[in-house]
Amino acid sequence: MLYDVTQITTYRYGSAVPISRHACRLIPISRPGLRVIAASLDIAPAPRERRDGLDFFGNQITEILIETPHDDLILGMRARIEVTPPPLPTFEETPPWEDVIAAAAVVRDLSPDSPAHFLYPSARVPVSAAIAAYCRASFKPGRPIVAALADLTIRMHADFRYDPEATDVATPVDAAFGQRAGVCQDFAHIMICGLRSLGLPAAYVSGFLRTIPPPGRRRLEGADATHAWVSVWCGAEAGWIGFDPTNAVLAREDHIVLAVGRDYADVAPVIGVIRGIGDHTVAVQVDVVPVV
Amino acid sequence: MQDSLLQQPSLFPPDEDARDRLLAAYRPLSGIHDELMAADQTLRPHWTPLIDAFAGLGRDDLERRFASADRHMRDTGVVHRVYDAHGGSERPLPLAHVPLLIAPEDWAGIEAAAIQRAELLGRVLADIYGPQELIRDGSIPASLIAGNPEFQRAMVGVTPAGGTHLRVYAADIGRGPDGRWWVLRDRTQAPSGAGYTVENRIALSRALPEIYRVLKVSRLAGFFEQFRDELNRLNRTPNLRVGLLSPGAFNESAFEQAYLARYLGLLLLEGDDLTVRDGQVFVRTIEGLQPVEVLLRRLDSDYADPLAFNAASRIGVPGLARAARDGNVAIVNALGSGAVESAGLMGFMPGLARRLLGEDLRMPNVATWWCGQPDVRDAVMPELDSRVVAPAYGYGLPVLPDRGATAMSDVTPEVRETLRQAIRARGCDYVVQEAIHLSTMPVWDDGALHPRPFVLRVFATRTEDGWRVMPGGFCRVSQRADSRAVSLQHGGAVSDVWVMNVQQSGAGTLLPPPVAPIRVRTDVLPSRTAENLYWLGRYIERAESCARLVRALASRLVELNADEDPLVQTLLHLLENAGALPPQDPEAGPYCVLGAGLRPAILDPRLPGGLPAIVASALACASKTRDRVSPDAWRALRDLEALVAAPPQPLTEEAIFLHCTSVLRLMSAFAGLSQHNMNRRSGWRFLQLGVRLERAATMAVWCRRLGDPAAPPGSLETLLELGDSQISFRSLYADVPARAQVMDLLILDTVNPRSLAFQAQRIEEHVLVLPDISDGSTPSKTRRAAISINAALKVIGPREVDNGLLEDFAAALYETSDAIGEDYFIHQGLLQNGFSVS
Repeated sequence: MLYDVTQITTYRYGSAVPISRHACRLIPISRPGLRVIAASLDIAPAPRERRDGLDFFGNQITEILIETPHDDLILGMRARIEVTPPPLPTFEETPPWEDVIAAAAVVRDLSPDSPAHFLYPSARVPVSAAIAAYCRASFKPGRPIVAALADLTIRMHADFRYDPEATDVATPVDAAFGQRAGVCQDFAHIMICGLRSLGLPAAYVSGFLRTIPPPGRRRLEGADATHAWVSVWCGAEAGWIGFDPTNAVLAREDHIVLAVGRDYADVAPVIGVIRGIGDHTVAVQVDVVPVV
Repeated sequence: MQDSLLQQPSLFPPDEDARDRLLAAYRPLSGIHDELMAADQTLRPHWTPLIDAFAGLGRDDLERRFASADRHMRDTGVVHRVYDAHGGSERPLPLAHVPLLIAPEDWAGIEAAAIQRAELLGRVLADIYGPQELIRDGSIPASLIAGNPEFQRAMVGVTPAGGTHLRVYAADIGRGPDGRWWVLRDRTQAPSGAGYTVENRIALSRALPEIYRVLKVSRLAGFFEQFRDELNRLNRTPNLRVGLLSPGAFNESAFEQAYLARYLGLLLLEGDDLTVRDGQVFVRTIEGLQPVEVLLRRLDSDYADPLAFNAASRIGVPGLARAARDGNVAIVNALGSGAVESAGLMGFMPGLARRLLGEDLRMPNVATWWCGQPDVRDAVMPELDSRVVAPAYGYGLPVLPDRGATAMSDVTPEVRETLRQAIRARGCDYVVQEAIHLSTMPVWDDGALHPRPFVLRVFATRTEDGWRVMPGGFCRVSQRADSRAVSLQHGGAVSDVWVMNVQQSGAGTLLPPPVAPIRVRTDVLPSRTAENLYWLGRYIERAESCARLVRALASRLVELNADEDPLVQTLLHLLENAGALPPQDPEAGPYCVLGAGLRPAILDPRLPGGLPAIVASALACASKTRDRVSPDAWRALRDLEALVAAPPQPLTEEAIFLHCTSVLRLMSAFAGLSQHNMNRRSGWRFLQLGVRLERAATMAVWCRRLGDPAAPPGSLETLLELGDSQISFRSLYADVPARAQVMDLLILDTVNPRSLAFQAQRIEEHVLVLPDISDGSTPSKTRRAAISINAALKVIGPREVDNGLLEDFAAALYETSDAIGEDYFIHQGLLQNGFSVS
């Protein structure tokens, strides 16, 4: 699939900000299954300093310093991206989940793709006995890993309610789990938490989802949203496979990866420090347009 | 070597009886190594001179000397911060009075082992942030490093400025029952405690000067000099100040950081003092941005840069990791150095020593099994009940009681079973360790010596000529007899560590200072420090005004019918306007002052203008500038805090009067100490500016209310009393005061130290010697404001001082304050951004 993706992020500050510094993960980058044909990030007001590079996990990171007093900050990303998901293994032929745990524990690899990074509690995903117990029901002894993960993905979709009012960006995982409701970020964090509690390596993926309008309606411009799902290391052979518990699907042609990390904190689109007084608001406008 | 110690001249001839009396109660624990006595209860030779000296002094003299050491610690303000429910208070870190003596041959072993371990851990750091060969060849499991929250991925692939990650290393060591030393913990993040060792040494060597001299104790100063020189050597630009990056005044070792900064001549900095431009680090000072190239880091890496590490950190420097990656700042220790500070890694140290150094560990560490490898975990499970279970990394685990290291023999079978299951499920979070017992050393308690277990922290620093170990250490002694290492995690006291040195001459000569003072080279005043000093001055003066007003009221309330006295009502309104009394309902009629009326100003910490809140604010400012406030001035502030916290009971009008008088007396002690003991660099000027501006503004307000022609009778006399100017007045005028005379004295008189004109002159003087931040074409706002006020006061006569003029002066003073803030201080207010996805 070929897509044109735009994401326009607008910060409005309560009073003029004299100086601000941000680290942005807003530009997609080529990785297995995804080719970035062109991508750009326009920033207004123009930063005094801008550095583009890669973070540890291979995500594109843009560090900026703005010294012009500003009431708002506009970050506009545009990209043309081709998504060609690698072939899937046959679920029942993947190794038992216990073998994946044992293999992940002893890898001799600390590169960004290594499952070693994704085994532990992280900034936004603690260990939770309750979530572990919930997830364990999908992991019967000897069950092939991808079959077990597919089961968990479907169960989560059935048991949890998608409700943007239920949580916000700072809601702890336990709280979202307790009310069985939240948004994609919560779904992803809960699933990651449960998998790591078992000893399975699970990563957080942020990106975009192609939305298919209801029959007979046109796609509404700017109505798309950023999305998040889970990537799980399924053994050396199968590698990383994406699961989307919000939609009970595997992450395939419709899922466009922006950034990968241990949890939301590693991929937060904008981390910023501003000097100033007063509150701010954020608006994000996303368009995912299939190029046909 | 031991013979030479025994043969040295003793001030105290051995006295068997006195020695026996001293040691009568001393019984080493069975099966435990004791530093003082061998198993057969004979004294170990290197302790004999000290014990003979103690015996010779006798119990009373010893108690007196120990008390003098305690006093020294108290007077210098050595405090270890412990958090309480209200967000922090300080308590003294008690000094255990008997030093730990270490024989030269024993020390040689410790020294060599610490050097080996520091070298080894430095190489491991270089590998895991570099080529990662140790990971690929299986020497260290990848997941052991990946699981450490202090493995900072943003620093992978970076060679730190200066070429090496680890420059300061500390090891917590203890001695087992067989007499061998063991490493209990490695400290590679930002080892604390070195500053305390200096203070402990000064306290004890002053209390026991002749003993200290005779025992030939190794000096500490050389180590610190080398350390300081090494930090300076990392500068690329000559003569730049080295900074000490601190987590701030609320950190538990804030005192030690301020102390080290002063002792080593470092600039004490918080995250907000620094800014990064084009990958270079600068200090925000009152003279603009000044570059800094070397930082001694006492802030955990995770908090050091919100953009690269923990985004929630408000105490870091945005962009610091970028500057470090660019090689423009040498950070000691490098960002991410905490990655080898984990219990989990200890199990791999013997193999790493052979792999990297081709030798065995000179000092074993506690036998440790990391349970992240399934085969190792399965092997240790059968013996679990006799072991200690601990978190593999720095963070606590909810499954463990107290979240930390737990002896399995201490917990119920149910907890043990829960732990077993937890280790089976996620072994990588846990280590299993051998339960070890620590040796004991003598402590003085209740007039006798008793054996108590201890842990010794030794420090090493990397120099041009290789690693150097501080000949001494930070020794934490337990207050209980339980010798298991696992019980020593909490509390205790701190002992000085005396490394006996046979080579060192100088016994019998005059004792040089145990540590040589090290000079500060240039004055760089960070904006934040200037701001805190300025506000310290303002709060101190505000507290004084409050105390003067309350006292004036209290003296009037002793008279009858005060409730109806209009002057009393005026004074109460002044206090209310200053925020020292709760706002009154205008419908409620006059204040009821007899009884509870005045007490809130003395008692209620919620009133922003009441004494408790003002003094607390002053203390908060002072604690952020501990490296600039002299120990005596600091102590005066602490005394003030204690006095304000404990007003007399019952709080009668007379008691209030006396209380305020005591408060004012301590205020003048602080004022005197800061006047006489602070150097006249910019820091002092900001403190003075705060005092002068506050005093001037208060005088303008008081004169407007009490000098108003419509003010109640007696107002002018009270105004003179508040302005401490009755005597000046009487020396000039024999009469009942007239308004113009009082205004002349309190507003215009340039020789009355309480007058507005006197403050204005001082303000102008201070402002004119501060760095001029203007571009030269027009005077800075601060200069313009200060000069205008002073000039205006020179061209008016006493009869022209009316309320309109006084209001103008008050407004001009606040403008001056704002100008100082704009010209010299940082504009506070950090916000974090971030937005949600859906």
